[in-house]
This record gives sequence, C-alpha cells and structure tokens, in this order.
Amino acid sequence: MQQHKLTPFDRQTFESTGTISFIGSGSIGGKAQGLALVKDLVIPKIDQSLLPSLSVNMPTMTVLATELFDEFMAENRLYDVVHDESLRDDQIAHYFLEASLPAKVVGDLRALSNKVRNPLAIRSSSLFEDALREPFAGVYATKMIPHHSEDPDYRFRALTEAIKYVYASTFFRDARNYIRTTHQSPDQEKMAVIIQKVVGFGRNYRFYPVISGVVRSYNFYRSGNAKPEDGIVSLALGLGKTVVEGGKCWTYSPTFPLANPPYKSIKAMLSDTQTSFWAVNLGHVPYDPLNEAEYLIQCPLEAAEQDGSLQFVASTYISDNDRIVTGINANGPRLVNFAPMLKSNQLGLNDAIRYLLKLSEAAEGHEIEMEFAVTINTEGDPQAKFWILQIRPMFVSHSRVDVSVDELLETDNIAASERVLGNGAINTIRDVVFQKPQVFTDKESWKIASELEELNHKLVAMGHPYLMITFGRLGTTDPPAGIPVSWWQVSGAKVIIETSLPGIDVELSQGSHFFHNVISSQVGYFSIPHSSRFSIDWDWLNRQTTVSETEFVRYVKLSMPLRIKIDGRNGRGLIKA
Amino acid sequence: MKSDSFNPFAMAQQQFDKAAEFLNLDSGTRELLRWPLREYQFSIPVRMDDGKTKIFRGFRVQHNDARGPSKGGIRFHPQETVDTVRALSMWMTWKCSVVNIPLGGGKGGVICDPHNLSQHEQQQICRGWIRQLWRNVGPLADVPAPDVMTNAQHMLWMLDEYEAIVGEKSPGLITGKPVGMGGSLGRTEATGYGVMYTVREALKLMNVKPENTTAAFQGFGNVSQYALQLYQRMGGHAICVSCWDQKDQTSYTYRKMSGISFDELMSIVDRFGGIDKTKAKDLGYEILPGGAWIEQDVDILVPAAIENQVTAETVQKISKKVRIVAEGANGPTTPEADKVFEDRGVFMIPDFLANAGGVTCSYFEQVQSNMNYFWEKDEVLGKLDIKMTSAFSDVSDLAKKKKLYMRDAAYMIAVSRVAQACRDRGWV
Repeated sequence: MQQHKLTPFDRQTFESTGTISFIGSGSIGGKAQGLALVKDLVIPKIDQSLLPSLSVNMPTMTVLATELFDEFMAENRLYDVVHDESLRDDQIAHYFLEASLPAKVVGDLRALSNKVRNPLAIRSSSLFEDALREPFAGVYATKMIPHHSEDPDYRFRALTEAIKYVYASTFFRDARNYIRTTHQSPDQEKMAVIIQKVVGFGRNYRFYPVISGVVRSYNFYRSGNAKPEDGIVSLALGLGKTVVEGGKCWTYSPTFPLANPPYKSIKAMLSDTQTSFWAVNLGHVPYDPLNEAEYLIQCPLEAAEQDGSLQFVASTYISDNDRIVTGINANGPRLVNFAPMLKSNQLGLNDAIRYLLKLSEAAEGHEIEMEFAVTINTEGDPQAKFWILQIRPMFVSHSRVDVSVDELLETDNIAASERVLGNGAINTIRDVVFQKPQVFTDKESWKIASELEELNHKLVAMGHPYLMITFGRLGTTDPPAGIPVSWWQVSGAKVIIETSLPGIDVELSQGSHFFHNVISSQVGYFSIPHSSRFSIDWDWLNRQTTVSETEFVRYVKLSMPLRIKIDGRNGRGLIKA
Repeated sequence: MKSDSFNPFAMAQQQFDKAAEFLNLDSGTRELLRWPLREYQFSIPVRMDDGKTKIFRGFRVQHNDARGPSKGGIRFHPQETVDTVRALSMWMTWKCSVVNIPLGGGKGGVICDPHNLSQHEQQQICRGWIRQLWRNVGPLADVPAPDVMTNAQHMLWMLDEYEAIVGEKSPGLITGKPVGMGGSLGRTEATGYGVMYTVREALKLMNVKPENTTAAFQGFGNVSQYALQLYQRMGGHAICVSCWDQKDQTSYTYRKMSGISFDELMSIVDRFGGIDKTKAKDLGYEILPGGAWIEQDVDILVPAAIENQVTAETVQKISKKVRIVAEGANGPTTPEADKVFEDRGVFMIPDFLANAGGVTCSYFEQVQSNMNYFWEKDEVLGKLDIKMTSAFSDVSDLAKKKKLYMRDAAYMIAVSRVAQACRDRGWV
C-alpha cells in the first residue's frame, strides 16, 4: 500500500506522540507519504544532543486511505453530483455533508473523537500529489476544528463534517480546473485524509503555536550575501495560514539569521510587520460547515501579548530614538521580527531549522520545503518543541544559463530583472496576458483575478503556454496588496512578471503555497517593482495584435515567440522579442 | 423449528442455568430469571379480503424489565409458538444487558404467514395486535420492533393505531419505523453490521486480516445481507449464502467459489430476501441444497437465518477450517453443538452479543424518537460500532481471564447485570 511502513489504527494506542496510523487500504496520498518519510528517515536520525533546547517531533496523526474515499463516493453516488459542472463549490460541499461515511470507519472516528480533546487539522493528501509529482500545495481544503467540546457528539460531528468537506474539495472548481492543467481527469483523483493534532497552546479561547514557519532549501529571492542554496525561512506568529497564504511574515536566510530584510527604513519595516495572527477559535462559533475557516479566528497582536506568547517573537519600536529593541518590556509598537529567537538565539531555533533542513533533504534526495511549528511553554521554564508538520519536494532546475548584468541593460529587452526565479531558456511563448496599467485599481482585484482565470481557462484548453504580467502580490489573501488568485487560476502561465505601480508599495509574492507551485511547476518568475532600474516595455506590448480585451486585462498574440532567458544561479532574467 | 422436538425455551433455560451456576445465583433470582415476568396471549380477529373473518393468535412476552422498558421484536411466522417467543424474550434480556443498554427483554409474535396475506390484511393484524396490547406496551413500558417477516410498514401501522387510541403522538412506542417517520438512519444495516463489528474484533484477537478469510452465510434476510456487505467491504471473501425459496418451499445454498457479491445478489432478491434461482444460475452461482452452507471449507460461519440450525448432527459437517462462528440469528446453535465448538476451540460469538446491533440501534431510535431529534447516519453507526466493540471486549476479556467459552462469558456478564438490577430493586 505505502512505501513507508505505517501502523494500523488502534483505538487504544493511536494517541501516542509521533505515530502515524492509517485506516482503510489503498494509497495514503502524497502529503502523508512525505510525513511517513519524516517519521522513518528524519526523526530517527536526529541527534537530540545537538538541539539541547528544542525537542523535535511530529504531531500524532491518522490517515484515512483512499479506499475509504472510493467507498464514500460510491455508496453515496456522489460521482453523479460532481459530474454536474454547473454546481457551485458550496452546493458540492452540501451534497457531501449530507452523505454518510463508510460504516467501517465511523467507529474508529468515534473512538478518536471520544478520546481526543485537542484541536485537529483535517488535511487533504491526494493520490495525484503522490503519483504525478505535481505541485498541489493549497489546491485542496484543510479544515481545522477545535475538537475540545465536552460533548463527544459535538466533536464527532465536527470531525466527520470536516472530513467530508475535504473530500468535497477534491471536486471544487479550483481543484478540477487545476487537475485539468495536469492533463488528468478530476474523476481519477482520489483523496486520502490526514487527521493531525494541531500543536499549540490554548488560552483565552484561542489555540495556536507560538511560531509557524516554512523553510525552503532553495531561495530564489536573494538578498545580501545569501546564496540560493542557503535556502529561506518564513516565520509567523500563530497558525501557519499566515505564511502559506502569503500574509505578512518574517523572512530571512537561515545562513544570516541576524540580517534584517532589506527594508528602506524602520518605518517601512514596521508597516510591513505581522499585525494579526491566526488561531483555532475555542469560543462560540456560528455553525457554518461550508466554510473552510469555520473554526479559525484572526486576532490582533494584543491578544498574543495577553496570552503571553508575543514575548518570544516580538521587539518594540522606541520612537524617542528611532530604535528597535528586542522583547516587549518597553512600551511602544510591536514588531514581530522573532528577535528573541534569532538575535538572542533563545532555544537555538535557527540551528534546529538548518539541521533539520539538511536531514530532510538527505532523506528526500533533493531540495524540500518543510512546514513546521514551535510550541513553547509560556509559563515557568520555557520548554520548547519543534514540530514537523509537512514536507514536500521542491523541483529546482539546475541546468546552466548565463545572463550578465550588461545583458539586462540592453535596450531591446522587453523586460529584465535581477529578481528572477526559475532557470533555463524558453523560446515557445507567443501569447501574452497582461493587466492594463492605465486602468489598474486595487479595489477590484477580485475582478481582475476572475478575468485572468477566464483567459487561463481558454489558453490551457488550447494548449498555449503564456507570459502573464500582473501588478502587486500574486496569490495574496489581502486584495489591496495584489491579485488574490489561486495557483490554478493562472496555472497555464509559463512565465510570470510581477510588477508594481508607484503608490503601491508592497513586497511581491512570497506566499508559500503559491510560491511552491510556481517553483515546482518550473514557471519563470520575474519580479520588477516600479522602483527597479529595469522596466517593462509597455509601448511594445501595446503595439501587438490584441486577441481579446476585458476591463482590466488584455491578451495579445505575437507573430514570433519570445526569447526568454533565466539565469537561476544569479537570479537574472530577460525577455526579448 | 426444523425439528418438532426442539424447544427453544428449554434451550434458553438450559443456557441460563449454566450461567446461574457459574455465578452461583441464589434460588430466588434463578427462579425469577428462568421465567418471563409477564405473558400475554390473545386473539386478533381480521376481516379478510374475501369477506370472511379469520382469527390470528398473538403473543407478547416480557421476560424481565429490571434494567429498563422491555424491548423486542414482533414476529409474523406460521410456526410461531409461545415457547419460541418466551425464549426470544429471555435472549432479549441478555442481549440488552450484554451491550449495556438500559432496556429489558421482550418479544411478540403472531401466527401468520405474510406471504399469503394482502397488505390490507397485514395492516388489520398489526392494528389488532395493538388494540389487544396498548395498555401493556408504551415508550416507558415495552417497546416493540420489527422481527421475522415484519418491517417498517408494520411498525408504522402499529404506531398509528396506538397514537389513535392514546390520543397523542408517541414515536417512542415502537422502533424500526421508516426513516422520516420517526425511524433512525442506520437501523436497516445495524444488526448485520453489528455482527461484522464483532467478527472484526475477533479477527483482531486472532491477528488475522479480514482479507485473508473466507465466510459462508446462512440466510439472506436483513441481518445476513448487511453482514455480508460489511464483510466484503472489510476485504473478506464470502463464498456462499443460503436462502429460503418460497416457491419451492425449501432452502438452497448459492455458492460461487470465486466470491459471491452483495450487489449482485441484491439485484436478484425479492422483498423477503428470496434469491431468484434462475437468475442466480445465469450469474454463475452453483445451486446446492439448503444445508450446504454449513459444510463449506471457510474460516467464518455466519448462521443468520433461524434458530436450531447448528445441532449435534449438523455440527459434525462443519469443516475443521472454521475458526469463528458469528451467530447472526437468535439461538441457531444447540447446547450439544456448543460443546463441540468449545472442544474444537472454535471462537464463538454468541447470538445475543453478535446480533445485538439491532437492538442497540433500536435503543438509539427510541432515544431519538423521545427527543424528536434525529442523528446523522455517521453518528448512529459510529456509536453502534463503539457499543458493539465495547461489549465484545468486555466478553472476550472475561473469557480470556476466566478461560471461559465466549457464550458462557457473555451470559455471565449479561445475567449478572440483570440479577444485580433485580437485587437493587429489592425484587430478590
């Protein structure tokens, strides 16, 4: 069934820390395979003496294998439902929530609900994710449930609803469209489900880890002296939703943990710091099972200060002397820069991240992306635990293409940048989709996303890879900051240029899920902020033959393919006609 | 009921006596529990479709209600006897007790053959049964349910009659009602699934995976059907099922060595669970004599038809390969056959444990009906699984600890709980 040996679910023993058990037969899906690899090949090799202040583990989890998904679909005749392409996501979810789980699994789930009183993450782990080695980060739903009520019936109901919701997300429009871009049929997809304990602490009706993070082996956005292979870390207070959905978080090179991100001023840094965090809501929640974030709550930083967690991750701005001081002992605006961890080196967090990154790369055999969380006992002795939550392979191209600085300055370039991801030469693109700069408005970015999706759908159907140019941060959940597209909505783009306009000063895309998909799909990625010394030749673009034009987006067809070169090692790239 | 000399009540008393001996019960308690607390026998006159009046004999036996309202089915069977009903009501007491639900044991019946009765005539029997008994049943006294040859429609007629007499809605009177009319989701599957939950746990004890086992089923009524369905979903390979043929008035065993299919068989059954012989043959099934199910070389036998099927005689035909007998029916194994199983080391899952899923789900239905708030199927089956698994563990743990045959262990748990309730109430 699986490449890694897992333990069958046992109603008496499944709660042991770090165990991965399974129910049913078939595949456990890609995400669960990654976690099984961690359990078998990473955790046992950890030399805990090297990490004196952090114990490393995995949250207890149980995987519902794909056979149960098959039975669920067949017994409830849900393929009849999902074949109706006119159904909205909420209608699909409604049908799935009405259906019954297979009889052979509900007893085990009931036993789990009876025993466990801890928030749970119900995660997708798809067959294609495993079989195709395609990026599926963020394509399917993850639902977190508080699972702490005294009433086991209530806990059980929320658990089964979350499982059905994740099953339903297999057929949500985003997912179906995305699967089609991989030249697969949505009908062939099968879903395993991971039921994983959420790690963290509960206080004031909130449950969250003090730190969530993502570390990637390869950094396509270099700054300072860091090399691409040094990797990159993004940290946030609270649940990892902030990091993976492109919220404001603290990003740094693990080789240079003391270096601040390249903000122009302290003011700029303060304005771009994390100001809220996500937690599982342990308080009263209106019943809304069709909402993926039903049990999540976004809290202001003051809440973390009240909970006692902010002290581990924040510094304070002292306006009198325009300085940042580590910790929150002084009065002043808080800056979530993880200085207590990175500068004061409490717990040896960065050392642990680097060490585990290397171990995981060795286990996986190539570059990886790892999601993790850190829990700290906020009372008394700050005992800390490092939890590995997910691990995914990164697909990084290493073929050699050179682009010199002089080439970037050549006048016949349509675009050039020193902040480029990907690697290689692309000479097949004749289709360009771009936002019209003259009508850009950050107030209607949802509409722009929709227009991009429509064009993407057509171009994917025709099999035409294209160059896409957009303003602001792609994949953001904060519409004023950019375009809130999911990866599948632009999945046919082979090269993306992310740019900005004067007056819109945001850091460009760093959302983990979106980014992971960009990298894994080997999409060329150019970042050209308006302040850059390089620019886009809009005049040339506007002279090309327009195929279609909507309110915000224009699609042009070129007579000859573009010549695109990306020097991945130096992060340089250029586009010529 | 195959043999005229077989008396199920005598057998039930014999089984109880053995448990009483194990438990060293005092004589008063023994005497109380050897006999039903109450019995009702009555006539039901029915105006038949041809205009003539026919009198049907009806029964209700309440064996013991020390732990809660009596609970038990109503059987429509041409060979019904009061002793059968007595035995079954006693087994209901033990069944409710072994799964630890707050109910006592009861059973009812009518001597009739629904195959030969119109819907209208059956309705009149149901309403007549209630008219005779409405003072003696009720949500807090005795809660009937469907059983052999009765179904949700019969229950609804009875409920309707009861509510008409008492002048108020009372969905908790009866269980097995249609879903949407006070019935519980999962009730149809509950007994058969319950059988397989216990088989699954037995296999775990033996460290055997379901996919490495084969099974033979007797009967293709509700219990057997859903036991077969879940067994197959667990990965097991069923090779045969026996079934009564109404037209030929005999039973046949339908065998396919490559594996019988629940879905396939369900496509060729009538509403009483009778398999269409001709269609079965076309689908590649061998048609064997009715008793052939017991002779198969399988790991698991599931007698899920009627009582008195595994006797001193038929037990000799059972393959040495058989490791588990899961009694889906009530009283299929005689004490003589039990002795053979015990000597052979066959793992017996006794009737009142194996098929307790039905009454457990009926209990859930009653709870839901009394609240007039109904659960999702996941919740029903999830709770059912937990109840059945806990009951199995209680019994198997005791059997292991005291080195007892499973039936004896189950009896000890069940009888001791009821005896304790009688003592607590000051009855003995």
